[in-house]
Amino acid sequence: MEAELRPQEERSHAPVVGLSLCDSAPLLWRLQDLKAVRSEGLVGALLGSLPRTPRQNVRLGRPLLLLPEEERLLAERRGAAALPARNQEVAGGELQEHFAEEQQRSFEEQSVLALEDRKSALVRAMASSSGSDEVLQRRLLDLEQNFSFPRSALAVQLSTARAGLSHCPEARAFLEADWPIRAQHCPRREARFQVFRDLRGRGFFLTSAGKFGGDFLVYPGDPLRFHAHFIAVCLALDESICLLDVLCVARLGSNVKKTVLLCSPAPDGPVRYTSLRWSGMV
Amino acid sequence: MSGASDGAEANWILRHPALKQMKELQVGDSEQIHAAFLVYMDLTEVRRWKEVSCVKIPDLQAVLLEAQEKDGGPVHTILPLPVHQSLSHRSICQALDRGFPLLLCAVASDSTLVYQRMTDGLVTPDPPVGPFEDVGRRQHRKRRQQQQR
Repeated sequence: MEAELRPQEERSHAPVVGLSLCDSAPLLWRLQDLKAVRSEGLVGALLGSLPRTPRQNVRLGRPLLLLPEEERLLAERRGAAALPARNQEVAGGELQEHFAEEQQRSFEEQSVLALEDRKSALVRAMASSSGSDEVLQRRLLDLEQNFSFPRSALAVQLSTARAGLSHCPEARAFLEADWPIRAQHCPRREARFQVFRDLRGRGFFLTSAGKFGGDFLVYPGDPLRFHAHFIAVCLALDESICLLDVLCVARLGSNVKKTVLLCSPAPDGPVRYTSLRWSGMV
Repeated sequence: MSGASDGAEANWILRHPALKQMKELQVGDSEQIHAAFLVYMDLTEVRRWKEVSCVKIPDLQAVLLEAQEKDGGPVHTILPLPVHQSLSHRSICQALDRGFPLLLCAVASDSTLVYQRMTDGLVTPDPPVGPFEDVGRRQHRKRRQQQQR
């Protein structure tokens, strides 16, 4: 009885994050999910384009892509679940119709306003030059009959806040259904996950280290506030590594002022770390 | 004459007492022992390190050196390896378990030596050296001007 109750209690404290699976990529779309995940020390990578600053790669927006290790850690803590896949096509069709209707309505309104504008401009112009009232009326009638508002002059409003992303049903029990984890058990992945979990447990923040040829970049705090201290290279204890590769990655580390960390999970628990530092012996 | 001296030159390494000591340890192949000898010579003759001796530890099939940089200074373990050889993290951990700071030395085929410090645990890198100047917008403006020209 107690054993059944306890897990439910624990679950009610930790927020559960909703994952949208795009093929196999775990994505987070909802703002509260991104905040929850960041507060647990998982950084992920933003993938999306920001509507107001589209043509650049420095600042990206939602969705957030999780590392396989981050996804697995969330799964272990029962902190994530797959969102039910909505029927994308139906939603898309509705949105398109809605948008077309809005545009048409806006066009009609703007035509009326444009005509009013032109009329008052004409009146002002005629008033300054001393013309008769008849001429003015005739010209106004002319204008009304021949005026057409070109489509190219239509002012279009781009909605940058998509309400659809934030509105998802919050049925917790439903969300906690298991999603298929792409369990590809290979020793390298296992090593990576053990190292990730250990370092995260010590309070470090980890991101992927593709730019530096390692497995993870290890930050002493939030990456927005700190530079990375370590480049983590994960390998099995008995895995054979070429000495040239060790020298290569160590040299790179010293060039970018980061310590290279060789990380190997030991079968009997603790992960062994070895720091490589430039010897300074020329 | 030259032939004899060449022969003597070639053999001096093989007759060196330090090399004989290393061979007596009966670990490591001939390449690794040769590499260890080169590192030995570098430490003793070039860098003038003190108390350089060769040791072995169980489980690791390589000759290790032990030396101090200065008299009374901390003792280091040195692991010499030919550069094309591979090693495992476990062997590094075994050398580190001796309790002394470890220097890995890679010996190239042209006898170039590269030393690499290895420490157990997480060693924070040295912070960048100050004083720091806030460049501000000056740099951006300068760059933009240059682009416009």
